[in-house]
Amino acid sequence: MIRRLFTIVAIVSFGLVFASLAIGYTEQQFLRPLAESYVRLVPQALGAPNVITGILLTYRGFDTLGEVAVLFMVAASVGLVLGAGRSPPSVSSEDRPEEARPPSEIVRSGAEILVPLISIFAAYIIMNGHLSAGGGFQGGAVIASGVLLMLLAYPQFQPNLEFLSATESVAGALFVLAGIAGLIVAGGFLDNRILPLGQFGAFFSAGAIPLLSVLLGVKVGCELSVILEKFRP
Amino acid sequence: MMELIGSILVLLGAIFHFSAGLGMLRMPDAYTRMQAGTKASTLGNTLVLAGLAIYHPGWSLKLLIIVYFVLMTNPVSSHALARAAYGIRIPMAGDTGIDALRDSRQKTGGGT
Repeated sequence: MIRRLFTIVAIVSFGLVFASLAIGYTEQQFLRPLAESYVRLVPQALGAPNVITGILLTYRGFDTLGEVAVLFMVAASVGLVLGAGRSPPSVSSEDRPEEARPPSEIVRSGAEILVPLISIFAAYIIMNGHLSAGGGFQGGAVIASGVLLMLLAYPQFQPNLEFLSATESVAGALFVLAGIAGLIVAGGFLDNRILPLGQFGAFFSAGAIPLLSVLLGVKVGCELSVILEKFRP
Repeated sequence: MMELIGSILVLLGAIFHFSAGLGMLRMPDAYTRMQAGTKASTLGNTLVLAGLAIYHPGWSLKLLIIVYFVLMTNPVSSHALARAAYGIRIPMAGDTGIDALRDSRQKTGGGT
């Protein structure tokens, strides 16, 4: 009874908070000065129609590098924690036959159709990061979801961890190298004007932003795939 | 006129989504909840997206791809979940009469 009373009180107070938010909301008529300068500057100076990607990969490029480093540390610590007391997969599947249920035909057929679709969608998201919603992080997460589907549908599927680690390291190193090239050739670390800006809104435009998106997508996809692989029983 | 038809389709989809939510709350066990959620939300999604396609004919192709994706993923994922739930022997509702999966396994002679 008292629990139910608490629940009702909690719901009502949440409702009051959100109602006051909804009533007090007025649409902003003008951009704040900072937002306005970004909205004006990004298409002009960086040649990217998507302002957010322009900010994330150029003005806040160093920050993005830090986020990727955090993700790398997560992958490393998951490997450390889950990988330590782990027997080789062939032994464990023989030891516990009832846990190694084969995936059903529906899951397998679904994976056959969906994995190519997911890969295409990931490539689309990564390559259009400078034009519309998307970018490296999101596309990398979509790649990892495809890898997860493969792991579910084919328990024997063994991603080559050395290859993934090597690809991820190379992508990260190239990202930093592109940043240093910006320091030398253009205006600063991770400046995208090391490549020609091209025509505004074209597929190959906005300088180095598509390149950085691809590197970021590859790196994030590899890292998340390694994490998912570690969670395999 | 097109706007009206589109809006009605979106509303129909919303009703199906509502019934999906109701089913999640009212159904007795994991399997029936899963089928309520999946069937109703698949149809609801399709109707909402179809309504949007009528409302904005320019978006039709992209919406069609999304419908295809939902039709592909939703049944497969709920199938996998239900099978996993069956595998770890989550109990069914008391008055369940037919267990086709167990019957077919007994017929083929075996195994778990």
